[in-house]
Amino acid sequence: MGDVKCAFLVQRPQYKGETSRLALTHALAYQTVEILLEDGDTVTPTLNFVGEGVLGLTKGQKAMEAYGITSTESHLKNCLLVDLDIYVCKEDLDRFGIKEDQLPDADEMGAEKKINVVPFSTIQKNMEEANHVLFF
Amino acid sequence: MKLGIFVSDYKIPVDTLDRLKGDDLGIILVLNGVYHATIKEAGKASDLLGKYSRVYALSEDLQTRGLTPEQVDSKVKVVDYAGLVDVIFNDFEKIAWL
Amino acid sequence: MGKLAMGVYPGLVGSACYDFALKLADAAANKGHKVSIWFSGNATGSVKAHQKHLKDYSTGEKYLTSLLERGVEICTCEACTIARGVQKPEGIEKIKWSAMHWYLGSIHAADRVLHIGGE
Repeated sequence: MGDVKCAFLVQRPQYKGETSRLALTHALAYQTVEILLEDGDTVTPTLNFVGEGVLGLTKGQKAMEAYGITSTESHLKNCLLVDLDIYVCKEDLDRFGIKEDQLPDADEMGAEKKINVVPFSTIQKNMEEANHVLFF
Repeated sequence: MKLGIFVSDYKIPVDTLDRLKGDDLGIILVLNGVYHATIKEAGKASDLLGKYSRVYALSEDLQTRGLTPEQVDSKVKVVDYAGLVDVIFNDFEKIAWL
Repeated sequence: MGKLAMGVYPGLVGSACYDFALKLADAAANKGHKVSIWFSGNATGSVKAHQKHLKDYSTGEKYLTSLLERGVEICTCEACTIARGVQKPEGIEKIKWSAMHWYLGSIHAADRVLHIGGE
């Protein structure tokens, strides 16, 4: 069957609910799914943040200090480190007054991937190209 | 994109649905989403009903809320759980829960 | 016949989404489709055995047991479950416990995926 593409759409802010966080941790699991699949089979998620889902992605999070939980910032860095494609809707960043340079990177960890800030049309294209669409 | 979107709320807490484009989008009204099939707020049917090529509503969720077939807008096809399974496999290539 | 992979995140008590998911799984299995269910988030609390069915609350155990008997694969996120104080020996028999890659693996073989992501 080869590669199965999944578009994960995160449409709710981080932290109050668990759902938006679970999008990141489930996406990270793509690294180990191969142990359950036949040779050559893979599952490739893209992480797409839209609407209020773009809230809670900025640098400088202190979730561990405040609540003893891993921050979304840390999860995002790990996602970049394992080469996941992350897309954040530009229209929504603009709407909420968030600048691109407020988003984290994982350069210090040696990641080559960066967060992609894209128009919503690109996110819709990701959905169209995916085999399955999952809204978190 | 033949995408069937499950709507389970009357007041939808996210704006993703409004932004999706495509001629082949359909909606499936379940749980409190079934009110879109019956309520005419200020005398006007739900905007959702005019936007999508196909609209389904789950009969069990209508019945649970005391809503009768006569109250359901003519644009909506009512299906039971067994019918919903057929909709999922036959009418759409992908499905998503809002 | 096809395969429906479901991801269920809302809790058993407090959200009718869970009840919806089990009824849909039941209907799909009755039609001969393969069905898998992945529990994550608050839905994982529902794998604890010996649930008492009080009529003002939804119940999961008897439906889960029935689905399992008909070949529906059900797996709970181990981390989510133990984080809620439920240990494996307390769980409903034949429900699998695994990590998040189980869900992605079930998606790989699926014709349709219904991901009920929770609130």
